Amino acid sequence: MAGLSLQHIWKKYPNGYEAVKDFNLEIADKEFIIFVGPSGCGKSTTLRMIAGLEDISSGTMKIGERVVNDVESKDRDIAMVFQNYALYPHMTVYDNMAFALMLKKTPKDEIDKAVREAAKILELDKVLDRRPSQLSGGQRQRVAMGRAIVRSPQVFLMDEPLSNLDAKLRVQMRAEIAKLHDRLGATIIYVTHDQTEAMTLGTRIVVMKDGIIKQVDTPTNLYNKPDNLFVAGFIGSPQMNFIDARFDGNDLIAGGTSFEIPLEKVEVLRNGGYVGKTVVMGVRPENVYDAKAEALCRLTAPFEAKITVFELLGAEVQLYFDFAGASMSAKVGQGSRAAVGDTVSFAFDVDKIHVFDKETEQAIVH
Amino acid sequence: MKSQNERKRTFLMIAVPILLLFFMFNTLPLLRGVMYSFTNFRGYGKFDWVGWRNYIDLFTDSRVGNSYWFTFKLALVATILINILSLIMALALNAKIRFKSFLRGMYFIPNILGALVVGYIFSYIFTYILPAITHAASMLADKNWAWVAIVIVCAWQSIAMNTLIYISGLQTVPEDVYEAASLDGATGWNKFRYITFPLIMPFFTINMVLCMKNNLMVFDQIMALTKGGPAQSTESISFLIYNNGMSGGQFGFQSANAVVFFIVIVIISVLQLRFLNKKEEQL
Ligand SMILES: Nc1ncnc2c1ncn2[C@@H]1O[C@H](COP(=O)(O)OP(=O)(O)OP(=O)(O)O)[C@@H](O)[C@H]1O
Ligand SMILES: [Mg+2]
Repeated sequence: MAGLSLQHIWKKYPNGYEAVKDFNLEIADKEFIIFVGPSGCGKSTTLRMIAGLEDISSGTMKIGERVVNDVESKDRDIAMVFQNYALYPHMTVYDNMAFALMLKKTPKDEIDKAVREAAKILELDKVLDRRPSQLSGGQRQRVAMGRAIVRSPQVFLMDEPLSNLDAKLRVQMRAEIAKLHDRLGATIIYVTHDQTEAMTLGTRIVVMKDGIIKQVDTPTNLYNKPDNLFVAGFIGSPQMNFIDARFDGNDLIAGGTSFEIPLEKVEVLRNGGYVGKTVVMGVRPENVYDAKAEALCRLTAPFEAKITVFELLGAEVQLYFDFAGASMSAKVGQGSRAAVGDTVSFAFDVDKIHVFDKETEQAIVH
Repeated sequence: MKSQNERKRTFLMIAVPILLLFFMFNTLPLLRGVMYSFTNFRGYGKFDWVGWRNYIDLFTDSRVGNSYWFTFKLALVATILINILSLIMALALNAKIRFKSFLRGMYFIPNILGALVVGYIFSYIFTYILPAITHAASMLADKNWAWVAIVIVCAWQSIAMNTLIYISGLQTVPEDVYEAASLDGATGWNKFRYITFPLIMPFFTINMVLCMKNNLMVFDQIMALTKGGPAQSTESISFLIYNNGMSGGQFGFQSANAVVFFIVIVIISVLQLRFLNKKEEQL
């Protein structure tokens, strides 16, 4: 097992497109790193550079203490689950999984044990002698996963490994991956579009946009203290509400309502020279309350808004409404009686208001 | 929508003339050949029916025996050589190199030249250029080496087409499979053995069968290079059939030879296909 070090990594494709820009990341041994970001932001490209499938245009990449810029894929001791699976079409499921071990001249019985164990975890025992073309998408994806986990490499790279599974299997596999991580103590880099996967699996999450790292932090910190508007909007689902508000020196004023904020935050804003300026106020839907219902936290002054959409999410209800020129949402308990067209009065949790600079989009205070 | 009848008529209008032509120029001569194989026809004059005589004689005729030995030796060696070399060429031409299209074009030229033309060019090389360089007698004049010269010419020409087929085969192998193999620790040779070759197996089958068939029917090259000599050491079956059948007064006998040869080629092709297809399935 080993850590990784990516220093000032750039990737410029032959057509001139810069897919990854100045990527800096130190990954400790046994870490479970998650890459998230919108489609096309360079997640796969970064994984492929780590795997050695794509040349690094500039920068230094280390696995353990070894600089691997010029080391071939086969000598990097990395297992990868490809986004498009890349299974061997002419081999059975069994052989697909056994291939790496076979090349390493592992004894037959050991291979057999490893493959059967992986197949059991991945629920592939019944299709071991089929070819990839005779499998469903989800089964193929699990074979791709199996091919990686039968090995014990220094680093696992997984590019959306569960994207094609049904909800139940996905939860199950997520747990298996967490177990695998504990058991092997492996370093894992994992790309996903699934917020739950990102939040539950990762020791740290890397949020990328347009080839640039926007923030790297633990799931909790990323959620509670997003560095900028992009991260604040990207992490958390449904996304954080953003409202333009003017800071009058004491309160944030939006839509004719004065929202009080804790004194420390007022200080920070005052010191930052934001008095009289417009900032962006960020509030997560779960911190928007029905002002009439009982809340266990301190609420801001209430404001009224008309419900435009009502969504039942199972245990909770998601209400959509327009306020101060922004489209917003609130997650409220199932007890809510609100219906589309109703005017409801809402309030924010005073302590959960994030403030961002409107120009730089950086967080000012959380 | 066209009526059933109308469709049928169109079908017949297209199929019947072609069938007639095919019958006239292909089936009929074939049947006549079969017929002559039961006669002592010399290519002219009168003839008598001799029953299975010609066929029985085939097995005792040493010249026919020699031609079979030579043809199979040539076909086997040339087929193996051609396939190995074209596969290597295809791998090279499929790699990430510069001037790839240009090189592919260049290497395909032998295929567009007629076999006779190529034969005469090589005849010149073997007779004048090579001896001048090596100060040895021409290969073509040596009865132990003349067949090698023919192998070289056959190979030189066939490699073009076979390479092309292999290149198209290689292009069917997706790049990401190689990437996966690299990460699984495969070396270049591993990748060829476990990924490339199994995946282009269907192309290998086609090449082997076509190549074997073409080489068994070798004719033009012999016509141009040796005319069966020296000392009948390079008489291929086709050449013998032509030579002795047309000008040797053995039309009936060589017709029998041709019929047997036809059957032999069919059997070999079918067996080859069966065997290689089985391999394809296993992989
Ligand atoms: N071979 C290539 N040549 C040029 N540009 C490429 C190449 N491969 C990818 N790109 C571009 O690089 C950018 C990053 O691609 P990448 O595959 O890393 O995205 P991603 O973050 O994995 O997206 P997704 O979530 O959709 O998988 C994209 O804009 C893509 O168009
Ligand atoms: Mg991707």
